[in-house]
Amino acid sequence: MNTSNRIFLYKRYERFWHWSQALLVISMLVTGFEVHGTYHLFGFEKAVNLHTIFAWTLLTLWAFTIFWQFTTGEWRQYIPTLKKVDAMVRYYTFGIFRDAPNPFHKTAEKKHNPLQRLAYLALLSMLSPVIWGSGLFYLFYSHWKSWGVDAYLSLEAVALVHTAGAFMMLVFFIAHVYLTTTGHTPLAHIKTMITGWEEAD
Amino acid sequence: MLLRFSSLLSAAAAYVLLAAAPAYATAAAKPEAMIAPQAQAVGKPVSASTADHSKFKELQKNFTSGPQVTEACLVCHTEAAKQVQHTKHWTWESTDPKTGQVRGKKNIINNYCTSPVSNEKDCMACHAGYGWKDDKFDFKVEKNVDCLICHDTTGTYRKLPGYAGHPVLKRVEFPHGSGRFVEPADLKKVAQSIGMPSRSNCGSCHFFGAGGNGAKHGDLDSSLQHPGKYLDVHMDEKGLNFTCVTCHATSSHQVSGSRYNVAAVVEGPAHIRGKKDESPASCQSCHSDKPHHDKMGMLNQHTDKLACQTCHIPQYARNEIGTEASWDWSLATTMGPDGKPMVRKDSAGRRAFDSKKGTWVWDSYVIPEYRWYNGVSTYKVIGDKIDPSKTVQINEVGGGPNDPDSRIWPLKVHRGKQPYDKVNNYLTVQHTAGEDHTALWHNYDWQKAIGAGMKAAKLPYSGEYGFVDTEMTWPITHMVAPKHDALSCAQCHSKNGRLQGIEGVYLPSRDNNKWLDMFGWTLVLLSLIGVLVHGSLRIYTSKKKG
Amino acid sequence: MLKVIGGFVAGIAVVAVLVYNYAGSLMFREIESPFGVEETVARIQQNVQNAGNGWSLSGLRNAAKPIEADGGNVLPVLMIEACSTRYSGPILKDDSLRFLSNLMPCKISVYKKNDGKTYIGLMNAALIGSLFGSKVGGIMEHVAADQAKFIVFDPSKPAPAMIKGTPGAASSGSGAGAAGGC
Repeated sequence: MNTSNRIFLYKRYERFWHWSQALLVISMLVTGFEVHGTYHLFGFEKAVNLHTIFAWTLLTLWAFTIFWQFTTGEWRQYIPTLKKVDAMVRYYTFGIFRDAPNPFHKTAEKKHNPLQRLAYLALLSMLSPVIWGSGLFYLFYSHWKSWGVDAYLSLEAVALVHTAGAFMMLVFFIAHVYLTTTGHTPLAHIKTMITGWEEAD
Repeated sequence: MLLRFSSLLSAAAAYVLLAAAPAYATAAAKPEAMIAPQAQAVGKPVSASTADHSKFKELQKNFTSGPQVTEACLVCHTEAAKQVQHTKHWTWESTDPKTGQVRGKKNIINNYCTSPVSNEKDCMACHAGYGWKDDKFDFKVEKNVDCLICHDTTGTYRKLPGYAGHPVLKRVEFPHGSGRFVEPADLKKVAQSIGMPSRSNCGSCHFFGAGGNGAKHGDLDSSLQHPGKYLDVHMDEKGLNFTCVTCHATSSHQVSGSRYNVAAVVEGPAHIRGKKDESPASCQSCHSDKPHHDKMGMLNQHTDKLACQTCHIPQYARNEIGTEASWDWSLATTMGPDGKPMVRKDSAGRRAFDSKKGTWVWDSYVIPEYRWYNGVSTYKVIGDKIDPSKTVQINEVGGGPNDPDSRIWPLKVHRGKQPYDKVNNYLTVQHTAGEDHTALWHNYDWQKAIGAGMKAAKLPYSGEYGFVDTEMTWPITHMVAPKHDALSCAQCHSKNGRLQGIEGVYLPSRDNNKWLDMFGWTLVLLSLIGVLVHGSLRIYTSKKKG
Repeated sequence: MLKVIGGFVAGIAVVAVLVYNYAGSLMFREIESPFGVEETVARIQQNVQNAGNGWSLSGLRNAAKPIEADGGNVLPVLMIEACSTRYSGPILKDDSLRFLSNLMPCKISVYKKNDGKTYIGLMNAALIGSLFGSKVGGIMEHVAADQAKFIVFDPSKPAPAMIKGTPGAASSGSGAGAAGGC
């Protein structure tokens, strides 16, 4: 293997963050849809308890990650850009079928392609406030009165928003997992996320 | 001894109003067992009371009637009778503080025995007084207050139907023709042995409502005389051993807690000693409105929608005594094949049919029905119009999901079929008990019985009667199960769970928004199809190239 | 060849999974009763007594009672025990089959569930019997046929009284079963 075209993309913390977050998100989807009444797996009570525990775990993970993003400057990876977005769209809709080269080349400074940047930013700035906001209101239902919000909220509305968020998360999850197969080999991206090393093509 | 289904009362024994009901658990059959626990605790060495009533010279008399005893009591307890005369136990009347409606046994027609009016001589066996035999009873006479029915600790003081509230003073066969006899009470001994009301004192009436053990309430029956932990975690004889008045704290003879004015919602912390307490008989007065440990904090979130009883009384009538689910009067006066009155029992030995009274259906371990309830019940009082084309609600429970003073409560719903005046459209009062020629149970003639009953109730009777379906609801609050027997989450948080019929509240797992779910799953499906098509195309195009 | 063997193995695995999943429910049967717990028990007891073929009641057990005695609640469960000497005799005489006394006496359980309805739980005697050879299988087929009659009710007939405890046995003990008919 030629070491010269390998680049180190994901640091140890980043990989730990990604995989533990992946596990937590999957677990929350599984338990969450059980609480929603879609199927029976753990039983309602256990599903609620697990969902709550996973939520706090994920929040803790995020607290560390936000700290990490800012101390390392990695937060810049999420600054959106419209440059080459059209090229990426064209690649995924046409080029990928014709063996055209990926217009984006990963570097340690730019890990995410422009579409990824937009998607992650949307996830962070739109979906996650919806899910976390509704989820925390859901969790702290008994405090609504003391917070003075009980007149403006109903459990039904909060639950619906939270469920809508869950559906969006599930759609993201499907697309995200599929897109990992679009590297130069189907498992290349996943390997990179495990080892941290990207084999440049 | 595999089974203790021996606990079932015969229809006749249902009348036995004092604690010594003959047919439930064997241990309870002996009169000695009826002695109140407190009385035993107040043993020989040091009395817990500051007064030994057996030493009082006012009580060294051979009393020959109940009122004589009361007069002796009143020599020292000068205000006691006046206090009692302000209670429902005396007036059989209750005014709703919110609606102003005057209810109480005297004024409503229920769907069990219907009404005491014109049947006072029998019904007043459960009146805390002496001599209420018709509408001429004087409610101001102090010596007619019955102190002993609540304060007797010997278990020998008994009141039977037919004596207008006077106790048994000579040996009498009861029920008539049964071969069983009730011994007279020694009033002197009873007067000298008074104490705080025990479970059997209260139970002598409240366990046997509607003329049968457990028949009326379902959450009150003679099994609470010696309850185990499974039946009532507070009254558990080997544990906390609460009596009725431990919760129904009483001051000036005003007993707290009543189904006529239910404290459906009690908020805030547990009450502290010395503080004036509005509803000491509520769960919250000891447990607060956040009763669960922090570890189970999510349960505390439920107290704004649920009454404690909803989860903590998973079933009522949790014994073989059971309770009546329905009473159909329309089959009363039907005679047996030989043309004579007949009685039939159900498989468990409970009354199922009686030519005097109609048919009953009993049930044990009953799953409650659940409704929003704000503690206010509006009753049909004597003379209130009804719509006979619909099931008549004897009492309509108030409240709803948007009312902050309502909670979801477990209720017993008792279904009845009872006579009404077809022209005037109101429920009728019937003269059932008695030996005269108009009494239903004597002459089996509805027309005469209703005529006499309506006359006593001072209501016009058209002469045409029919039978109408009725429903009466009873909030369930006794027989609180141990905590590990409370409902589990999924018993409500599921489709077709306990609260399936409750509207106005979003119950995760039971409820979802049909449109959101359809939209969401469509979106998920489309993205799956999308990635599959995209992936297949990639495989196809790459294969084609080589 | 490999494919054939693979398919065969896969087929066996699928069947094994299916058997594992459904065997339990094949061995037992649950039906809803139109009556309450006590009346269901009483009517089954009456049917057992009228069944002939040597059938008699050998007891009525309340499995919920010990739990109550421990301070806990469980919805009523009553187990009707019935036995027929005609069927038990041949099995108990055969040393190689005496272990099947574990299945005796025949039990029919009547219980309430959280939906408030009463259910009857039965063992599939014919299927279980067929697992132990033709002799037992033949006997158990008869048992199953009689058992099917135990749960045929005639609602037009009045409810009989439930028979409590072990008929003919004043106290439980080794004599109780004998007194009960088996």
